[in-house]
Amino acid sequence: MARIAGVNIPTQKRVLVALTYIHGIGQTKAKEICTKVGIPQDRRVHQLTDDDVVRIREVIDRDYRVEGDLRREVAMNIKRLMDLGCYRGLRHRKGLPVHGQRTHTNARTRKGPARAIAGKKKTV
Amino acid sequence: MARSVWKGPFVDGYLLKKAEASRASGRNEVIKTWSRRSTILPQFVGLTFGVYNGHKFLPVLVTENMIGHKFGEFSPTRFFHGHTAADKKAVRKD
Repeated sequence: MARIAGVNIPTQKRVLVALTYIHGIGQTKAKEICTKVGIPQDRRVHQLTDDDVVRIREVIDRDYRVEGDLRREVAMNIKRLMDLGCYRGLRHRKGLPVHGQRTHTNARTRKGPARAIAGKKKTV
Repeated sequence: MARSVWKGPFVDGYLLKKAEASRASGRNEVIKTWSRRSTILPQFVGLTFGVYNGHKFLPVLVTENMIGHKFGEFSPTRFFHGHTAADKKAVRKD
């Protein structure tokens, strides 16, 4: 069991893949970390020595913002926009798409499941 | 895509002059502007701008957080008044 950056405990998988289970680390950063620590691509997590694990932990702590810190930063950025009263903030407040997408149809990710409209005629 | 850094921030020239004049005069009056495309610069902080939204000039008090945004972002051009209640004559067909 390897515990890196808080609660993440992926084993059996290759280190490259296991690291992506951490929020804020995708394939690119996982690759960067592996080269920095000097772990071969096909090494699996359970094969790591304790020393390797410590060094991975150090690199992540030093160079990357992950998990709770990252989530907090993102939330703060959104909160800043909302408090500012700018267009993007208004869209966040209303739960509508922020980047200028259409809302006539689609936009279901932001708007949530479709709500039935009272009194609307059903076709056939 | 983001604007190239070497170009610097875009501001309509007359707006800069107006802001300076307002600063010099000391009175904090609303500077009416149509220039929604102008970037908010540090020297605008504390001034109030009336940003036109195609209908009227909405007062925007510039704070430090707004630096780097555009004036247009603070003056919405569309107003959603909600949908009208469903027409009673519209009969549901099953």
